[in-house]
Amino acid sequence: MRSVEVQGVTFRYRTGQGVEDVTFRVSPGELLGVVGPNSAGKSTLLRLLSKVVTPERGRILIEGREIAALSRLALARRVAVVPQEFHVAFPFRVVEVVMMGRYPHGAGGGWGSARDHAVARAVMEATGILDLATRRMDELSGGERQLVSIARALAQEPAILLLDEPTAHLDLRHARRVLEILLDRHGSRMGTRILVSHDLNLAAEHCDRLLLLARGRIAALGRPEEVMTTAHLEAAYGCPVEVERHPVSGRPRVQGSLTRHGAPPNTVSQHSPDAREAGSPNGQLGN
Amino acid sequence: MVWRWIPGLGLCLCLGVASARAATIPDMLGRPVTIPDGSLRLVSLSPSLTEIVYSLGREDWLVGVTDFCDYPPAARAKPRVGGTMTPDLERMLQVRPSLVLATAEGNPRDLVGHLTRVGVPVFAVKPEGYAGILDSIRVLGRALQAQAAAAALVRAMDAQEARIRRAVAGRPRPRVLYLVWSDPWIAAGPASFIHDLLRIAGGENVVQARSVPYPRVSLEEVIARAPEVVLVASHLDTMVRPSTIVRDGLWQGVPAVRSNRVVPVPGDTIHRFGPRVVEGLEHLARAIHPGAFGLAEAVGQAAMR
Amino acid sequence: MKGRSPSFGGHLRRPVALLWMAAALLVGVLLSVMVGSVDIDPREVARALLGIRAVPDDPAVTIVRQIRLPRAILAGMVGACLALAGLGFQAISRNPLADPAVLGVSSGASFGVLIAMLLGLTGPFANPVVVTLFAFAGALLAAVSVYAIAQVDGRLPATTLLLSGVIIGLFFTSCVMLFTTLLASAELQGVVLWLMGSLGPTGGRTLAVLGLVLAIGFGVLSRQAARLNLLALGEEQALQLGVEAERVKRVVFVAASLITGAAISVAGSIGFVGLIVPHAARLLLGPDHRGLVPAAGLLGGAFLILADLVARTVAAPTELPVGVITSFCGAPLFIYLLRSRRGGEAS
Repeated sequence: MRSVEVQGVTFRYRTGQGVEDVTFRVSPGELLGVVGPNSAGKSTLLRLLSKVVTPERGRILIEGREIAALSRLALARRVAVVPQEFHVAFPFRVVEVVMMGRYPHGAGGGWGSARDHAVARAVMEATGILDLATRRMDELSGGERQLVSIARALAQEPAILLLDEPTAHLDLRHARRVLEILLDRHGSRMGTRILVSHDLNLAAEHCDRLLLLARGRIAALGRPEEVMTTAHLEAAYGCPVEVERHPVSGRPRVQGSLTRHGAPPNTVSQHSPDAREAGSPNGQLGN
Repeated sequence: MVWRWIPGLGLCLCLGVASARAATIPDMLGRPVTIPDGSLRLVSLSPSLTEIVYSLGREDWLVGVTDFCDYPPAARAKPRVGGTMTPDLERMLQVRPSLVLATAEGNPRDLVGHLTRVGVPVFAVKPEGYAGILDSIRVLGRALQAQAAAAALVRAMDAQEARIRRAVAGRPRPRVLYLVWSDPWIAAGPASFIHDLLRIAGGENVVQARSVPYPRVSLEEVIARAPEVVLVASHLDTMVRPSTIVRDGLWQGVPAVRSNRVVPVPGDTIHRFGPRVVEGLEHLARAIHPGAFGLAEAVGQAAMR
Repeated sequence: MKGRSPSFGGHLRRPVALLWMAAALLVGVLLSVMVGSVDIDPREVARALLGIRAVPDDPAVTIVRQIRLPRAILAGMVGACLALAGLGFQAISRNPLADPAVLGVSSGASFGVLIAMLLGLTGPFANPVVVTLFAFAGALLAAVSVYAIAQVDGRLPATTLLLSGVIIGLFFTSCVMLFTTLLASAELQGVVLWLMGSLGPTGGRTLAVLGLVLAIGFGVLSRQAARLNLLALGEEQALQLGVEAERVKRVVFVAASLITGAAISVAGSIGFVGLIVPHAARLLLGPDHRGLVPAAGLLGGAFLILADLVARTVAAPTELPVGVITSFCGAPLFIYLLRSRRGGEAS
């Protein structure tokens, strides 16, 4: 059974942005990276998958069931979303926020069962924030808040985890930690993961497959080396792109400035420190 | 045969006795008020009503008055139950009244409800025009079992009023403006009983707006209507002084100011609808028609005090 | 282990805290019953409460049972209504600065009552249900206007929310002033005083209606409490966690407007209770709405009873409008909340 099936889905906001006739499937346990330029429809895709918006055409199936027929609660038991930005309006404590992830499993009515507390504890341990449990959300750094967000999502015990730019504003240490969690380095037995990222190299390095979106349509879908070609990327991003291989993993990665157009041949060479400095802003984690 | 009449007579006697225990009298709002017989414990919620109670000879029954009840001076010694618009329910209840006298305009409207809920009868008075004042006195006379005193008082007031009418009869009616407040300018309108008093005193009120008893007037209106006499009420906390008006450059176009007929009058006899209103009437008449009251009149007045 | 609510440093354990709050409420009621413009000995008060008359026709019994006790109950219920309404509005706008007065909802309710007055539906023998309905309609109208104006991409940023609240509030207050001036008759004489908030003696029927509305409001908010917690994460997140965010917002919105309307229709416009009390409750219990709902009710009642007590005694024999006291307490708090970044949405 496919974990996620998207069939011919079209959805447009009033502004005209959105996705057009998107079809793809995700296998159970797969880590799919969704990449593409701004306004390509990446976040919209996540919203569609979590039923925040409904498609005008097409259908979406989660574990074989149409999400249109699933109640929100039922969907929330299967799908968890880690948003791009995580703001909590009132000064909740970390553990209270993590426990909110147990709501779809019925923790809303009472104070939380023993199982709820156990799960919360386990995910806090897995994400390394157990020592922050009694701290207030507004006392945490951006990185720590993101870890809480992930813990909250994991507390839902979802079969499918959707993440929107989970490392976007994080420093090296926290970004690394997030990656470790995502890549199942702590044996959390992660299920299907769909990761939206601006960081092409990150996605290419770790994802099983990539989905390249451009202007609302699928530009390419497949293994990283199939998707990350000069042709695909230049067509999607509309600017010169240089693709090379990571020396250790062999995965494709982009190198050089994505914004320089038709640079003269005697400018700074690609492998010089200056170029790296001025190079891809998203290149940090690929190494 | 005559035997058959006895039960009937007996019944009538009993009924008569029963009805003497408590009378149901409609107040001036049309509400039937049950007033127990015998002496009452009265609370008066208006200085005017207090004056009427004293003039009806029922001051011994008075167990509570407002903070503003200052006439006659003996009234100041009575227990106080708050202001007219802010009566203190607790202090009222503490004096255990059997009847509360209130006014329709001068006391808070929900007072009736509150007092009714705690089981205290309220008798409301609503004088409309000068005739309404006499009605109030008569009605209160009935309520307080003092009809004779009320009738006598009304007769005396009638006599005094007649005297004033005679004094100003036949004289041309000057246009009059009666001011009660200066900022903004508020005057007595046709819906107030002062309007009646002005008419009896031989004047013609320039204010014609009927919507409220004491409407605001604009300066343009005043100048347009050109009053020949401006009466300025002086009361406890008045801010209107004739000198303010006379010196005010904007008022120079008003005939009353030009001919120096901006006259202060004592508000407490004119604004209260009690027995002293005829004194107020006299003040008004003297202010409007100073020539009508010669020396003989002045002597007669002094003798009456 | 099942059902244990964790307590954390700085927050009180929930059942203990609620018990203290209930005690505070009770103390407030007792104090309120013992104090008035007439001096009554505490022992006499106790006797009066039990209905024992020292003399036949004892004024103390009437004063205590017919004036002071209903007033204390009224203050308690109005305080609870306003606090719960404030909590509800804060939860759905994710902003601790929301409150029925700040959002202009109170002005709308006052306007509704004014219309009822003009139609001759008020007065000492009026039907309290009818007046409440008019106030509710006015409150709802104001609330809908504020939210419609303040929406930016489906969110309610603090700045636009407060601005629209002020504007709508001013608008309805002006309407009230307009009608009061145009139709200055004896009917509306007392409107100005009433508008400042007054907790005068009330009849049993009115108290019963108010009690019923309070119960409804409390019930709705209790049921939605867990979902309101999730709303704090943002609407999208709440949706993704299984909460029908729009429905929850609508339900709480209507309930908060209803209890605001009921409170205003009985007691006039009293501000800042809905601001101060939820904030205090959050400081004591944390932001979990499951504890905040009963806390706001209890603390709101206690707060207004005490404020009323101060209003009656501090300038005796004059009785200050209770809204003056709550504003004196609330304005500094509002300024503090506005300036601090804690607990505020970053927008």
